[in-house]
Amino acid sequence: MMSLFDALVHWSSTSAPIVFVRDSRYGMPAVQSVHLVGITVFLAAILLLDLRLAGVGMTDWSLPWLERQLKPWAIGAATLVILSGILIFLGTPSKYLASNPFRFKMAVLCLAILFHFGVLRRFATSEAGSRPRRGDVVVAGISLTLWFLVGWAGRAIAFVP
Amino acid sequence: MSLFGWCQWLEHSTLALAISESTWLFPLIEGSHILALPLSVGMIVILDLRLLGLAFRDDPASRVMHEALRWSKIGFAVMFVTGALLFMTQAGKAYGNAFFRAKLMFLLMLGINAVVYQAIFYPKMAQWDAAGRPPVGARLCAGLSLIVWIGVIVCGRTMAYQF
Repeated sequence: MMSLFDALVHWSSTSAPIVFVRDSRYGMPAVQSVHLVGITVFLAAILLLDLRLAGVGMTDWSLPWLERQLKPWAIGAATLVILSGILIFLGTPSKYLASNPFRFKMAVLCLAILFHFGVLRRFATSEAGSRPRRGDVVVAGISLTLWFLVGWAGRAIAFVP
Repeated sequence: MSLFGWCQWLEHSTLALAISESTWLFPLIEGSHILALPLSVGMIVILDLRLLGLAFRDDPASRVMHEALRWSKIGFAVMFVTGALLFMTQAGKAYGNAFFRAKLMFLLMLGINAVVYQAIFYPKMAQWDAAGRPPVGARLCAGLSLIVWIGVIVCGRTMAYQF
């Protein structure tokens, strides 16, 4: 299983489009920029949803309504982030696979996704007033912590081996 | 003193040297600058999408504006402070950098754009507040804002590759 993954990574990281992005002067900055624009929109959607869930802001809006409004933009932004992220990774896979912050980032990313679909979505798709508020605040806090930890871990790749 | 001379002086000031020589201070400030993007630019994107008639259509534009601007003020405060500190540490290099200059020009454009919106479209907002699709002028302002903010992010990210 692991060798198939290695072979796939090697095969795609030596393909012409990946090499072009990696070696051209503005290839990597452009892809990194797309990654960052996607993160900006995706985390803005997460922020709005969590702040609403915690009852800190946007209280004029119903929670399920806000969730529906944000959904297409969050999905679009997440797609940009994932695709650009794969391009960045494949540029120098050995560097990322050896990086501790990168491994941590992927682990927290998995947790954030699991928490989002396992817990947060259940809270966000039902009315906020229908249950004790304390639970909402805790769920929103965990969600924000996990998603922003992914961001900080990503930033740490540049500074920590 | 020339502007470039001032930038070089700034780069060698005690505060700037303390930040660049510290192992954790620079990453912390840079990370805060980048992770304040969703709270600052991200909120403006939400507002722009509403003004373009692309999102939050069944809610009054003024309410989306109120919520988005409320949060973005906190985000932009973080952006300005961290951005100023980051600039200090690399002022000499930033001075001649094309992407940094473009970023500043874009920010100036966005400031003018925001003033134009506040002066011309905001006072009449009550007339079209509930409309899913605001008037063409307001949509133009929002479209310009969206594109130029993306330009700011692209320039900011790209200039980091040149230092």
